Amino acid sequence: MNSLAKKRRRFILVSLIIPVFLLVAFVVFPAFDLIRMSFTNWDGYSPESDFIGLGNYISMFQNADLWQSLKNNAVYFVVHLCMIPIELAFAVLLVSKLRAAKFYKSMVFMPYIINGVAIAYAFSYFFSPINGAFDAILDLLHLGMLSQNWLSDPKIVNFVLAFVSLWRFSGYHVILFMAALQSLPQDVQEAARVDGANSWQMFKYIQIPAIMLMVDFILFDNIRGALQVFDIPFVITGGGPGYASSTFTLYTIKTAFTFSNFGLASTMAVAIMAMIVIIYVVQNKIIHGIVLKGGDK
Amino acid sequence: MKKRTVALTICAAAAAAALAGCSGGSGSANTQTTAGAAQEAAGDTAAKEEGSTSADLSGDLVFAIWDNNLMEYIDENDMVGKFQEKYPDANIEVEKIKDDSEYWNAMKMRASANQLPDVMFNKPFTLSRFQDYLLDLSDLEAAKNNELAAGYALNGKILGVPMTAGYEYVYYWKDMFQEAGVEVPTTWSQLEEAAKTLQDYYGAENPDFMAIALGAKDEWPDYPFMEFMPALESGNGQNWNDMAKTDAPFADGTDINKAYNKAYNLFTSGVFGKDPLGLGNDQVTALFAQKGAAMLALGDWGLQNIQNGTDDYSQLGTFYLPARDSESDPFRVIVQGDSFMGVTTHSKNPELAKAFVEWFYSEDWYPGYINYVTSASSMTNFPKEKDPILAEADAAQPDMELVMYDGGGDDFQAIQNETAFDYKKLGAEMFTEGFDLQARFDELNTKWAAARAKLGIQ
Repeated sequence: MNSLAKKRRRFILVSLIIPVFLLVAFVVFPAFDLIRMSFTNWDGYSPESDFIGLGNYISMFQNADLWQSLKNNAVYFVVHLCMIPIELAFAVLLVSKLRAAKFYKSMVFMPYIINGVAIAYAFSYFFSPINGAFDAILDLLHLGMLSQNWLSDPKIVNFVLAFVSLWRFSGYHVILFMAALQSLPQDVQEAARVDGANSWQMFKYIQIPAIMLMVDFILFDNIRGALQVFDIPFVITGGGPGYASSTFTLYTIKTAFTFSNFGLASTMAVAIMAMIVIIYVVQNKIIHGIVLKGGDK
Repeated sequence: MKKRTVALTICAAAAAAALAGCSGGSGSANTQTTAGAAQEAAGDTAAKEEGSTSADLSGDLVFAIWDNNLMEYIDENDMVGKFQEKYPDANIEVEKIKDDSEYWNAMKMRASANQLPDVMFNKPFTLSRFQDYLLDLSDLEAAKNNELAAGYALNGKILGVPMTAGYEYVYYWKDMFQEAGVEVPTTWSQLEEAAKTLQDYYGAENPDFMAIALGAKDEWPDYPFMEFMPALESGNGQNWNDMAKTDAPFADGTDINKAYNKAYNLFTSGVFGKDPLGLGNDQVTALFAQKGAAMLALGDWGLQNIQNGTDDYSQLGTFYLPARDSESDPFRVIVQGDSFMGVTTHSKNPELAKAFVEWFYSEDWYPGYINYVTSASSMTNFPKEKDPILAEADAAQPDMELVMYDGGGDDFQAIQNETAFDYKKLGAEMFTEGFDLQARFDELNTKWAAARAKLGIQ
């Protein structure tokens, strides 16, 4: 190993000290502590806690309200998943030579940079049953008969909240897709055009394989986001009525702070970690193995 | 693929770390630290109790609050400066937390991290939760002069001095009652009848009208019905504690069963407007202030919010929630101590903190504050005339029987946590279609008995 290589290696090792320390201190150690707490009955404020084995895990699986909350998370997951192809289509449209593309890009990205709590507050008034803007719009269009109890009907409330989530996060996905599409080498695309590839073929055989890494990231982000959604239901409905619009994270926080059961809440946090990994792996297998038939990555 | 899975696990761990980060440690090391800190603080207290005078008290205090009105008054009246006139070497940092829910979350975390403020507030339902972290204030003049403090003592120790005496009212618009031909109700059935008449009368023209405004979306605003009515039923302020002594507290004939049946029948009678679950407390208070509703059940603190929402409150009146079945039954009214100011065991200057509590309830500060807010005084040495609007409720029921409300002790809260019994959420659920109250009672009884057995509560 020459001296330059040694220096480079030393530089890399030194550069890694602080990030690794931070990772261990703020991610790895808390994660292990979280797992340890999941086997205790700690109430969040008492100095003592007892080891209770798998008690919290058994209790978690028997908790009907938690399962209800998890089902609500599934609504966000599916709605966002269905929107990903549309977001990709938007991105393709916006990277093409569209008139006023910059304006559209700004408009699409704007909701993402607005404070999430402010958005949730605004939408809680938007869907208010009295003096609500959405019902007023329906009335204006002579569609008042379609008016519903948007935030209190258990049958529709999760779809309303998922719509707010879509409004906020779709732009972020579109921008990520655009960044990936814009980074494609032009010569490859031009060569394909010269060879007679049409737009669909370009999309399927050049663009999609080239941005698979970004697709993977967005799919992962969708799982993580859907399972951890918090601010929108917390502000707009508080998880109600009952637990009709509660989510896994909302229920976890309620378990920890309202019912002073940090042990069980830690178990739920461990479960969410496991679920994120498992759902991602399964989704990846389905998309790469079946939908894209093992397409290049 | 394996590498990616490992990487993903780390990412997921990073996401979960936020929750773990909030929790702090809870193991044996923490136990020793907490116990040690408590002993140290107690030792300090004992050492300083001998021979300390107001002149030599010095140090920093953290005073954590959530009340917006108190914060405004503190800012406008330079509380820190006034305290320093008496204790020149003392400094106070006032820490304002968004609301009481956030306050309890923060205090729980800080209790586990030995970081409680020197002076904190409690509610009746949090006193027992924080009792191990609060010093006994029985020897303070403030505690002796407080008409409610002794009633909330735990194991003979006064752990907090209530800042106000809290009463619950039903606010109503007299002109609307008059126009609809409705009298102020004095029994539960009269309340149901009055609400129905008002809803029919005004709701015919205004589909958004609410005879009784309730922001059930926030869940907590149903507390006058869900939290206090069981205690009003037979005048038992210790209702929650008594529930902890039985296996089937929700059985037919119990106070809570009767009270919740009444609440359920009222909630499902259509007198709360077209969609109470779609509105929060701020929204319904604003609508009530603009006469979009005829009644609103809130505490005395609600008066300021209503007055802020309208220019003309000349027709605003109050009455107490009539929970009784007939006029021959006693008319019971809930009273509770509110905002219990206490000194924590984590305080590095407990003597100074006690001196601050003493000063806060002295003529140097308390009379000005209590006259600034609409709440009633809890101090016998500083009585306060009730606001004329609130006094109407007293005038209507001169023979009322006061029920001193207890928020529930250790056993009740342990069972409540174990069974996830959330009475405010239960109230909101009563508005949903298909809600079966009897099935819920049965479920709660089963869970209650199991929790008592598990926790070994007799």
